[in-house]
Amino acid sequence: MEQVLFRHNRPGRCVTISEYRAGGGFLPLEKALREMSPDQVQQRVIDSGLRGRGGAGFPTGKKWSFVPRDLPGPRWLICNCDEMEPGTYKDRVLLEANPYLLVEGMILACYALGVEHSFIFIRRGYETAATNLARAIAEARGAGLLGENILASGFSCDIDVHLSAGRYICGEETALMNALEGRRANPRAKPPFPAIKGLWGGATVVNNVESLANIPFIIAEGADRFRSLARIPEASGMKLFCVSGHVRSPGCHELPLGIPLSEIIDDACGGMREGSSFKACLPGGASTPYFTPEHLSVPMDFDAVARAGSRLGTGGVVVFDQNTCMVRATLNLVRFYARESCGWCTPCREGLPYVVRLLEEIEAGRGSLEQVALLQEHVRLLNHAFCALAPGAMGPVDGLLRHFEEEVVEHVIRGRCPFN
Amino acid sequence: MVNLTVDDKQIAVERDATIYDAAKAAGIRIPILCHDKKLHPFGGCRMCLVEVEQMKGRLIPACTTPVSEGMIVRTMTDEIIKARKLVLELLLLKHPLDCPVCDAAGDCDLQNLTYEYKVDANNFTDEKFHWEIDYDNPLIERDQNRCIHCGKCARICDEIVSYGAYSFVNRGIEAKIGTPFDGKLDCEYCGSCISVCPVGALIAKPFKFKARWWALNKVKSVCSYCGTGCQLTLGVKDDKVLTTIYDEDQGFHNGQLCGRGRFGYQFVNSDERLTTPLVRKNGTLQPVGWDEALELISTKLQEARKNDPSAVAALATPRLTNEELFLFRKLFKDVVGTDSIDHSAGYAHEALTAGLKESFGITASPSQIVDIQKSDLLLVIKTDAYETHPVIGFEINLGVKRKGVDLRIISDKTGKLAKLPKAVNYLHKPGCELLLVNALAKVIVDENLAAESAAAITGLDAYKGMLAGVDLNQVAAVTGVSLESIRELATAYAKAEKALILLPIGLGYPGHGKELAQALSNLALLAGKIGQEGSGLLVLGEKNNSQGAADLAIHPTAGGRDAAAIIDGCASGAVKILYIAGENPVVAYPDRAKVEKALDNAGFVVVLDLFLTDSAKRADVVLPVKSFAEKCGTFTSVGRHVQRIRKAIKAVGESRSDREVLADIIARLTGEGVAADSATLFKQIGCYSGVNYDALGDAGAIYPVNVSPKFVPVVGSVPATEEGKYALLTGSALYHCGTMSLSGVGPMLVCPEQYIELGRVDAGKLGVNDGDRLKVRSASGELSLAVKVGLRMPEGVVFSPYHFADASINSITSGKSVTWVSLSK
Ligand SMILES: Cc1cc2nc3c(=O)[nH]c(=O)nc-3n(C[C@H](O)[C@H](O)[C@H](O)COP(=O)(O)O)c2cc1C
Ligand code: SF4
Ligand code: SF4
Ligand code: SF4
Ligand code: FES
Repeated sequence: MEQVLFRHNRPGRCVTISEYRAGGGFLPLEKALREMSPDQVQQRVIDSGLRGRGGAGFPTGKKWSFVPRDLPGPRWLICNCDEMEPGTYKDRVLLEANPYLLVEGMILACYALGVEHSFIFIRRGYETAATNLARAIAEARGAGLLGENILASGFSCDIDVHLSAGRYICGEETALMNALEGRRANPRAKPPFPAIKGLWGGATVVNNVESLANIPFIIAEGADRFRSLARIPEASGMKLFCVSGHVRSPGCHELPLGIPLSEIIDDACGGMREGSSFKACLPGGASTPYFTPEHLSVPMDFDAVARAGSRLGTGGVVVFDQNTCMVRATLNLVRFYARESCGWCTPCREGLPYVVRLLEEIEAGRGSLEQVALLQEHVRLLNHAFCALAPGAMGPVDGLLRHFEEEVVEHVIRGRCPFN
Repeated sequence: MVNLTVDDKQIAVERDATIYDAAKAAGIRIPILCHDKKLHPFGGCRMCLVEVEQMKGRLIPACTTPVSEGMIVRTMTDEIIKARKLVLELLLLKHPLDCPVCDAAGDCDLQNLTYEYKVDANNFTDEKFHWEIDYDNPLIERDQNRCIHCGKCARICDEIVSYGAYSFVNRGIEAKIGTPFDGKLDCEYCGSCISVCPVGALIAKPFKFKARWWALNKVKSVCSYCGTGCQLTLGVKDDKVLTTIYDEDQGFHNGQLCGRGRFGYQFVNSDERLTTPLVRKNGTLQPVGWDEALELISTKLQEARKNDPSAVAALATPRLTNEELFLFRKLFKDVVGTDSIDHSAGYAHEALTAGLKESFGITASPSQIVDIQKSDLLLVIKTDAYETHPVIGFEINLGVKRKGVDLRIISDKTGKLAKLPKAVNYLHKPGCELLLVNALAKVIVDENLAAESAAAITGLDAYKGMLAGVDLNQVAAVTGVSLESIRELATAYAKAEKALILLPIGLGYPGHGKELAQALSNLALLAGKIGQEGSGLLVLGEKNNSQGAADLAIHPTAGGRDAAAIIDGCASGAVKILYIAGENPVVAYPDRAKVEKALDNAGFVVVLDLFLTDSAKRADVVLPVKSFAEKCGTFTSVGRHVQRIRKAIKAVGESRSDREVLADIIARLTGEGVAADSATLFKQIGCYSGVNYDALGDAGAIYPVNVSPKFVPVVGSVPATEEGKYALLTGSALYHCGTMSLSGVGPMLVCPEQYIELGRVDAGKLGVNDGDRLKVRSASGELSLAVKVGLRMPEGVVFSPYHFADASINSITSGKSVTWVSLSK
């Protein structure tokens, strides 16, 4: 299978710059700087149909196009490598194997956007990835691929790696900008959107690692080639699916978008573990509503997954077998979100701990049907939070109530967790 | 303009309006908890959720969402009510619900909305928090258990006060408002955070358990401390002023006050207030009836009126109302016939009464406070402008931070204003202001940056001639401000489209007198900065009615004695009768020993005051007078703003207002009754003939002026220095204003005694720390003062405020802008 993101990978170690260049690395950059205008680079990314891999799936080229060309003052590109969502570890795998793709992708993005200074905001625990990036940046600079007057093209840009102080909310793009400015990592109100007023008040684009790492391929091979990589016509490109849970060999795989869920589990991960049968999964990270066996044939692409009632999110697939108590699994997830709430808005700060309490009561067998109804109401009302954290946190709760209501009610009626 | 529909009402609003603003304009109230019109939108509480036709699917916060053309907004649907109820229920989950003992009850947004949305049962239960309550600071009790996380306290302290005492700490449900290292609060104590706190998490300690909010009578008035003229609302019960109440719709400052305005009201009902007239008998002051006291005064004045009017002198505080000052002038100048009247030690009003009078033909500033935020460049003389006029300081903060105003400061210290973003502080050696200002003008002339309009103004040639003698290199060497800096500042000032100069004046600033005001007027005229919005010169009068006292000419105008001469006259015996209305010369005028001796030597001294001040103690007759809360009248504040004060309580004890007393004495002397009501008196004040008293209302009025500009060359001189000594500067402490704040309780809790402030280097050299004591010796005396070490003072320069009665700084100063002192342990 054609690989875009893993094509340069070497087993058990990080690829070197010479290996990367020998494999065609940095040729797309040369090509863009020599032959293409920034607008052409942006247009190609728009044409490629690349959608953001950080969770929301927003078309990358379109996001770039929101930055007004004529806005005065500096503009910024930030690569989001905070990756703290439970079940998501694709950016780590990517960067531990190959930091050059991201570096090249970022330089291309800077070129398209007219950015002179960009940042990689990286999770503090990602030490290997950060070391790799620091090395890659230094090497690129040494090779004239980064810094002043890149490849004698007249274009200059630089990349800084910033270690996150470490909170889940730092991954939310506006909270990230606050964190980068040295402020408390609270999200900011939108509008104004970052493309108009972001980091230090300047126009800012925030893209996920994986989104940016796709750019060199798109420049090199063209938008159509990229689109055709997907399994279904409405999708485009490849995706890193990082699978965990009760499968035989969990891991991160680069697979075409639109691939059915069953193929990811059965072909890429060797199927379910011995004695396990598929009960449910989080299809796209910890903030997405569950899929059940009826969804195994759903093509794993943004729109298809949305039509099936969930979100592709980050592509972090967490698989649960028949012995999993879905109430307990959900409780575990919501606890994470309640703890990681920044505390800014009422629904999230006060609402999530309350949802945790409701789930605790139900799980402990002390719940009531009224509480189940309250839970349902919270799924709706917590949507009115300040940022996407609380609605995301309610994703699994939503799934729980839609697909496993009987299991929830069973907790109430039997007065105990049926899995104990 | 943008057109939209809110609850079926069509409305057009400004582009930058939010849905909340639009609804408000349409008369529709959307409930809010975290929104405040003065602050940047926050969007955290989610109380203001509304439905927007074009954004169906989720509810939209009205307070953060900008309007767009054709928007169709609904502010009240079943789903909205549910969402708002959820917010309230969630907030009440952890809330201690100790409303019966909470001082915010009745004035609490959470309580009121809970009532309005009929949240009568909570589906939820949860454990309460048990955050430790901060009782450890003098003025603000902080109970985080009651906090609803609206962030307003942290935002106002950062955005407007520019102090930054608070920040959110922790995350999730553990999030709370924290102080540095989560310690006790230690800040400016302006109380802004209390005023905006929607619940009882922040309360004013002095008001705790004093009264229920709904039992308070709310009386609108004007602050009686500094010349800013902030409007305030007094909370009154049983004829006592128990608190100040925040009203975000009051004044240019939207109800914001500084610490003295907010916490300094307790002098009104102080137990120390004088309650009866006192007459000295057998060496001691003894209570007498009003008639006896007034008869005694009148008899003395009547005698002098007939025999030797010039032996009578009178000093008035610029805290009196315009109407009182009018009668004061009438009594002494017209009835008694003496020109020896004055106020503010004679020098603290000269910037207006002599400086601007000659330069502009008026005794007031051509500019207004609202010009600050409209300007492009502010040139502030001394960072002290923040300490003397804190709420004008807030305007400067806002101008710099919100409007990008270019802030330049010429200062002998590095105070708070210098720390504003991008502010440039031209730190100079003490006493060099005038040299610097003339140097700026010189650069403007040399570099052909003078405005065309300057050519038409009288005196330009003489002015240029004087400037020709200015040696820039010498100025740079003497002032310590480099030639490049002088050039750069002059150019920036001249080139700014709109530039405004701020000059604070007052008893603590002897150098800010006539000449400096004229040098600044010259500079502004030269650069063409007079006469347009956002430009000009704003002289900040020290006290609540300093501007009024200047306008009413409470100073000699026909060769009479000024304040200094009056004191000298008392000492020499030339002045035999001295009438002191509210001034406290012993503490506030230069050279305490001299003033004390003079008062002791004067034949007959009358003091009218609220308290038995150090000056009153030396009087022959002491009359108890009403505070601003017990009377009506008008004050004129910075920028010619005439505003009404209103009687809030009955007179304390037997006090009478200065107005009543003066009218009584005039009647006794002339045998004719005089009208003593404010309205009638105001209409007789000639300089305010352009103002309609009856139409003053709550907003007050700015009286119009015609400027007739003139260049009045003033030459700077190189200040003398004394080798091996420290330059002592006097001025205002942030928490105090004049000497009245000493009885204000609140200010004294924060700043209780005379201190000497020095920089770290000097403190190190002298081996002293905060709280140690230093002997401060000048040519005229010695004091032992508590040490305050900070970042404000440059090496070799020390500061001491002038307000305090004990160890008052005038024991060692004599009215010069710099006093040279030696310091030792
Ligand atoms: C609470 C929260 C946490 C997030 N964390 C991450 C993250 O760790 N990495 C990431 O790429 N995007 C994260 N996002 C999404 C970002 O806000 C943003 O949409 C994304 O970085 C945009 O990149 P893309 O367009 O390339 O997907 C998070 C969003 C929320 C609401
Ligand atoms: S009193 Fe004033 S300075 Fe102190 S924390 Fe409150 S707002 Fe800030
Ligand atoms: S203390 Fe008061 S103003 Fe500050 S966040 Fe809490 S509720 Fe809001
Ligand atoms: S002292 Fe001055 S600044 Fe403070 S509240 Fe009173 S008038 Fe306003
Ligand atoms: S008032 Fe709008 S979110 Fe608080």
